[in-house]
Parts: sequence; C-alpha cells; structure tokens
Amino acid sequence: MELKELHEKKIKEILDEKQLWNMPILDKDASIEEVLSVLTGRDHVWIVEEKGSKKLCGVITESDILRLLAPHHLPKYVFGKRYGISLHYGTAKKAKDIMHKQLIKCSLEDKVGEVLARMVNTRVRRLPVVEKDEIVGEITVHYILQILLGKR
Amino acid sequence: MLLEIGIALILAKLAGYALERIKQPAVIGEILAGIIIGPFIAGKFFGIEYLSPETEGIAQLGIILLLFISGLEIGIEEIKTAGKNGIITSMFDVAIAFIFGYFAGYTLGYDIKTSIAIGNIFVATSVGITVRTLMEMHALHSKVGELILTVAVLDDLLGIIILSFTLGQGEPLLLIMKVFLFFLLFIIAVFVIIRIKDIKVHVPRLILTSAISFALIFSALAKSLGLAAITGAFFAGLVFSNLPQRRRINEFSRQMGEIFFIPLFFVWVGASFDFYALKDIGVLVLLFIPMALIGKIIGCSMGAKICKFNTRDAIAVGVGMMPRMEVALVVVTTEIAMGIFSETLAHQVLAATILLVIISSLLTPVLLKVVYREEKENKVEKQSG
Repeated sequence: MELKELHEKKIKEILDEKQLWNMPILDKDASIEEVLSVLTGRDHVWIVEEKGSKKLCGVITESDILRLLAPHHLPKYVFGKRYGISLHYGTAKKAKDIMHKQLIKCSLEDKVGEVLARMVNTRVRRLPVVEKDEIVGEITVHYILQILLGKR
Repeated sequence: MLLEIGIALILAKLAGYALERIKQPAVIGEILAGIIIGPFIAGKFFGIEYLSPETEGIAQLGIILLLFISGLEIGIEEIKTAGKNGIITSMFDVAIAFIFGYFAGYTLGYDIKTSIAIGNIFVATSVGITVRTLMEMHALHSKVGELILTVAVLDDLLGIIILSFTLGQGEPLLLIMKVFLFFLLFIIAVFVIIRIKDIKVHVPRLILTSAISFALIFSALAKSLGLAAITGAFFAGLVFSNLPQRRRINEFSRQMGEIFFIPLFFVWVGASFDFYALKDIGVLVLLFIPMALIGKIIGCSMGAKICKFNTRDAIAVGVGMMPRMEVALVVVTTEIAMGIFSETLAHQVLAATILLVIISSLLTPVLLKVVYREEKENKVEKQSG
C-alpha cells in the first residue's frame, strides 16, 4: 500500500477486530506484580476501570517502569504526591498508583495520517482506539508498518 | 547584567549541588549563591551589582513558572482523590499554621494586614526534605508517609486560596466578588480546555507555548483582579493538569524553569538578604521560627488525631509537615512586592523566612527520626511483649 493512500484511510478500515483479544489490559486495582509481569513481554499495558470492563482509565508504559526501576532521585523542587511513588520504597502498590490518567486517544473515524501526526506531536508510540470511553483497539508504529508492508 | 546572570547561574548550580551532596535541599545552596553574589560580598569586594530591575523581572518569571509547575504536578485529579483523612488534616494544618502566624505578628505589635501576611508565610509546607527522610527510613509507604504526601497536595492549594482572600486588594465585598469571578474563570478554563484538547491543528509545540502563555495571562488576570499573580500561575497549572499532554508540558516547564528562571529567583532572594536586618531581628526570629514550626506540629497532629492516628504517628505527621521552602519564599517575596511590609520590616521578614527555611530543613530529618524511631521501637516492644 502507498503511504499517501494509507494516510487517507480511516482507523476503522485498518483495525483488526481480533486485535482486542491480544491486547495487554489490566484493571486499575491490579497489583504492581501483575503490571510488571505483563511488561516483561509487552512495552505497555492499558488500564481499565474493573476486571471484564473495557472502560479505559489509564496506561502504563515501559518508560514509566524504567523510572521506577532506576535509583530514586528527587528533583530540586518537589510538589504534590508524584515523586513519592516508588517501587523501592513500597509506595507503588497498584496499577492505579503509577498509571497515566490523562490519555491521548484516537477514534475509529480518525484518518491514519491524523493519528500519525498526533503521535509525532505528542511523542507517543501507541494510541488506544476509543469509542464511548471503551477501548476497542490500539494503533502502534509496529501495526502501521505491518499494514504498510502488507503483512496484515 | 549578562555577566552577573552568567556568574549567578553557575554559582547557583554548584552551590545547589554541594548542598545536595550533604543531603540538604539545593534551594538553600541557590540562596547562598545569591548571598555571595549580592551586595554584601560580591557587591562589596568586586563591585558586582546583581540586584537590578532586570534580575527582578527574571525572578518574577521564575516565581510564575514555579507556581505553574506546582499546580501542574499537584493536579486536579490528585486533589479529587485526596480522601477524608487528607482533607481533615490539611484543614487543621492550614488553619492552625495561619493562626499561629497571625498571632506571632499580633504579639509583635504589627497591624492586622502585616499579621495576616505572616500567617500566609506560615501556611505552605515543602515536603521534599520529609519525603527524602522517610525514604531513608523506609517509611514512605507507612500511614504517616501516605498522609504527609496527601496533605502536601492540599496544603499548597489551601494556602493559595487563603492568600487570595487575605491579600486581595479592595473593599471586602468587592474582593469576594473578584475572588468568585476568578474561580469562575478557572472553572470555565478547565471545561474549555477539555473541549479543545482534541482540535486537530498540527503546529509544532503549540501546546507548550499555549501552556506558558496561559500561565502568564492567567497570572496577569489574577493581578488585575487584585489577587496575587502567583494565584493565577498556580491555577493555570491546575487547568493544564487535566490535559493528556500534562507530562510533556511538565517536562518542558521544568526544563525551562530549572535551568534558568527558578534558580535565578532563589539567587535573587539570597541577594536581597540584608545582613543589617540581622541586628534588629532578634525578637522577630525568636517568635517567628518557633511559632512557624510549632503551628504545623499542632495543626497537623490535631487533624491526624481526629483521623484516629495514634499520638506519636500524629506528631510524626506534624513534624513531617514542618519544612518551609519554595512556596514560603514565593509568598514572602510576593507580599514584599505588594508593599505590605515597611522597607525595614520587609528585610527583617525576608531574613526571618530564609532562616526558617534553613532551620526547618535541618531540624525536620532529626526530629522525624527521633519521633518515628521511638514509634517503631514501641511497636516492636508491644509485639514481643
């Protein structure tokens, strides 16, 4: 497929419905051990409100965990709770303690070009596809490459 | 001016690093750098004139950025999830600290406005040193550590709200209306920004420029309504804390602030330190510092006790909330800029606040270790008994 052609396609035209079954999803009360376990094989995990629900409320990425794994370092100016969250000191207990609550998303009606531009502008490598607050899929750089090279 | 700022930046960095090496806050190093480059050392021996309208302007931008970052990191979501214990404790904490400050001013014979201004300085806590100490003690995950972190979220918010009401200019009824108008604009901004976050405009770094621009405009708006500019900056941070790009805005603001503007604010504070103020400061310091420290211990302990903490844990929460740092210095410099203190008193209050920052930072880890160690020992004895 031509890149220009791909840019004009809508997300719903390229999204594989079966993808949802294989997506890394945990509920917000999942233990930190469960989160770490998922991240041994994946580079992110989507967080939903409760088990069995698809209502998206956060994401935890590899880089979040990297910060938690590295020796804890407080910045010069400390505000609020954020810098007290640590694996080493036992304050990161559940998925909800470390997840990003404000998410950059896309919808089924968005064009691939727009979504890629959003990923570049916001410096993220994956976006959840969300309809009525529920996660229905994800768009990653890998996924787009597979579509472009005809591997999907 | 370029030479002075260049020297100030590198001095602040080195002094901050040196202080961090001996487990003290970098801010104190930056203030010390300011004292060195100020009129009493570099000014006297090398003819350097650091204090100028230009460096004051940079310091003011540092204040705005600092409070913007504070609002951004504290965040609306975190405030919403503070919980009952956090709310009760922080309300007692802020109220008692303010009353102690007011009472200190009143006892020293100052007028109502000056006493209120001292009350405002007493309110804001900086938990950096406490978090560091609790980490060293592996107690950050304890009930005490969790409550301190939660109270710290609400502490700055309540402090800024009190400051808006008490230092606002104008007739009381008009002031209430202005404060109400400001908060109405804040709520509108929160809702508007949620609506416009999905606008598909691809201008590089638009969101970052917009965030800084909004912080400055909201600060100017607060000032034009008779409130302090820092109120605007803090609430601008809260508005942007609701955006998915929060982390990126935060990283960008921190980079901009930490490299240039914020250290230069603390350098400016240090350079404004007047050694002559020390000779007449005795009575003020004798009352100011103990009242600031005890006010926090009593306020937080009362709140924690109501939340069914045992006495020692409650005192540990109070001790953990004692340190004053960034926001206290921002409040005092704002009050000085608003002309609340006479010139002589302004130098004395600034010097007293700097001493409070240093003493509370030195004292908190020691006291926290004493209170918390005894608490842990008691628990072990009970278990073995």
